[in-house]
Amino acid sequence: MTKKIFKSSILASVIILILGMACVLGVLYQYFGEQINSELKKEAEYLSYGVELEGETYLEQVNDQDSRITYIDEEGNVLYDSMADEANMENHRDREEFQEAEETGVGQAERMSDTLSERTLYYAVRLEDNSVLRVSSTQDSVLALTVQLIPSALGILVVLIVLSGIFASRIASYIVEPINSLDLDHAEDNETYEEVAPLLSKIHKQSGQIRTQLEEARRNQEEFQIITENMQEGLLVIDAYTMILSGNSSVWKMFQVWEPKIGESVYSLDRTEDFRKLIEKVLEGEHGSTLLRIDNEFIQLIANPVSRDGKTVGAVLVLMNETEKVERENLRREFSANVSHELKTPLTSISGYAEIIQGGLVKDEDIKKFAGRIYKEAQRLIQLVEDTIKISQLDEGENPYEWENVDVYKVAKDVCSHLKDIAWKKNVHLFIEGQKTICRTVRPILEEILYNLCDNGIKYNKDDGTVSIHIKDEGDNIRLMVKDNGIGIPREDVNRVFERFYRVDKSHSREIGGTGLGLSIVKHGVTFLGGTLDLVSEVDKGTEITVILPKDGKKN
Amino acid sequence: MATRFERQLEELHVQMITMGSLCEKVITLSAKAIEGVDCAKEVFDTDREIDAKEREIETLCMRLLLHQQPVAGDLREISAALRMISDMERIGDQAADIADLSRFVDKNCVQIPEEIKKMVELTVHMVTESVDSFVKSDIDLCRKVIADDDKVDEAFNQIKGELANLMYNNMDVKVGLDLLMAAKYMERIGDHAVNIAEWVEYSITGVHRNNEHQLGGNEG
Repeated sequence: MTKKIFKSSILASVIILILGMACVLGVLYQYFGEQINSELKKEAEYLSYGVELEGETYLEQVNDQDSRITYIDEEGNVLYDSMADEANMENHRDREEFQEAEETGVGQAERMSDTLSERTLYYAVRLEDNSVLRVSSTQDSVLALTVQLIPSALGILVVLIVLSGIFASRIASYIVEPINSLDLDHAEDNETYEEVAPLLSKIHKQSGQIRTQLEEARRNQEEFQIITENMQEGLLVIDAYTMILSGNSSVWKMFQVWEPKIGESVYSLDRTEDFRKLIEKVLEGEHGSTLLRIDNEFIQLIANPVSRDGKTVGAVLVLMNETEKVERENLRREFSANVSHELKTPLTSISGYAEIIQGGLVKDEDIKKFAGRIYKEAQRLIQLVEDTIKISQLDEGENPYEWENVDVYKVAKDVCSHLKDIAWKKNVHLFIEGQKTICRTVRPILEEILYNLCDNGIKYNKDDGTVSIHIKDEGDNIRLMVKDNGIGIPREDVNRVFERFYRVDKSHSREIGGTGLGLSIVKHGVTFLGGTLDLVSEVDKGTEITVILPKDGKKN
Repeated sequence: MATRFERQLEELHVQMITMGSLCEKVITLSAKAIEGVDCAKEVFDTDREIDAKEREIETLCMRLLLHQQPVAGDLREISAALRMISDMERIGDQAADIADLSRFVDKNCVQIPEEIKKMVELTVHMVTESVDSFVKSDIDLCRKVIADDDKVDEAFNQIKGELANLMYNNMDVKVGLDLLMAAKYMERIGDHAVNIAEWVEYSITGVHRNNEHQLGGNEG
């Protein structure tokens, strides 16, 4: 803009300069012409007096370098000329100024020279004897004048152009300055040319619009980010070249990368064949899903193609951590397999004994023994079913019992008296340490927990071993510890003993008896009562199970 | 919007990852083959796939070099890729060789030395890590792979001694030799993994450890 203003102002001044100079030249020329004319007139009049008085000889005395004096008789013959030899001169009768002077007394004329570089002005006066006195003077023509003036005019012109250039640039920057210093962030507050005002108000309006749109876009983005960041599931968006466009933090966690891999290929997260096949498939426009295994996690991956104008331009991948589900499924499968196996074993025995009796292969005196065995197996079966029912009740959270204030010490004592016989048979010493402690809890479940823990402690013990129950009041909680110095649990099994039907020593379990559900019942029971469970064990040294129960456990 | 060159470079990256993952697959399979799983056919198929991938990547690299005239880091990455694919292709070939050998080893009558399994595990790990180092441009991982090669070499020497011992006692010499060859191939695969790691290192730092003195590098 500055440039444009500068250019146009300098152009205007140059044009004006040149035109001005030309005009001045024309006017001056005209003025000089008139000046010369009047001078000639005066001179001619003076001379005419002289000639009238003294005759032709007067002219010879006149010494005038500037003008040419010619004396012509009435016939037109030149009698005298101050510059040329009169004898050689032609007749001047047909000259314009001569004829005019003959007629009116004075004559005037001007003629251009052959080269046009000069013009000659004539003034003629008729004397009393009808002869004519002519005075003439030459003057440069406009063209010649111009040519003569060119150097100086050019000099002046250059100086003026330079000056006008300086002024033009000053003016241009002066004009532009307020526009340059416009504050576009607050477009309406500017005080500047009124021509700019509509533009400014438009800018103001549009910047307002842009701001609200940006705000909205940012809010949308934030909302989206909050949604995706708080999703447990991973969300990954890729383009048709497998580049990752966006992903939430769950994705990075699942693939165990610590910084977002946006802009990199999705294969840098995982390059297993299943994954690659799925990505290839989805980028061909097909929906697909697969179960990935990353370390010990199972990730369900669902891939959906994103199409635009019938072309796949990318894909959205949803990742879900299915580890728990897969593990639960495995557990359940194992559980049902175990249950059917555990139920089948006693039933097979019962049916076997019954079949032998039915076949009459048993002596009468042995029938009693067989019936005893059938009874024992049936008892075992009942026990198993009861335990399973207990677990599923605890699982479901159904509780047929009441919450009441219970003396934990008394419960422990009852449990001990129940187990006295079994302990005595195995030569295991059983004792309680602690005092009366009241706790709000469900008595049958607490009994069940303590019973199972002590029962296990006795069963998996050595000859002359001990099992002890420690009850400790810890303010808000009660710490129940069941300690034995029995065979202990191998380290690799510690985490599994609470699973249903899990047996450390599978081959001898039938000798020891039990259903394999004891510790599972304990775990569920403790969870139901809102407590925590901790197990420390060392092979051949013993096991220590700590249960911490809240004193004011409430049904939730 | 990415330029065409960036797109092609990214495509090269993706193809390299794919080829790396094929290598991991083929050597895992060949390891299974040694242990007696019948998967030789799958190994051969994957090897062919690797060969095809090598040509594909080679073409892509050439196209990049000729059309785009890359410089500096990009040029290094492409030239490193060209070298890496030949190492990867060798890994594929050797895995196929192992699978081929495994057909002659009767699993039922030969107790495969425990060291071989350990060595296979080490080698598979090395290949995985060398590909990982490429994917993540992780220079520490490169150096770990390069250092790990000693363990594989050591394991190979142990196996050699063990097999010599076994063959001296009562082992079928043919089987023993086959196992030795398989171990040697595994050891070679380890070397190729090291090569890959070295080229990754080169594409990151611009200094290849074999040429250090020429380029005046001081990378340890």
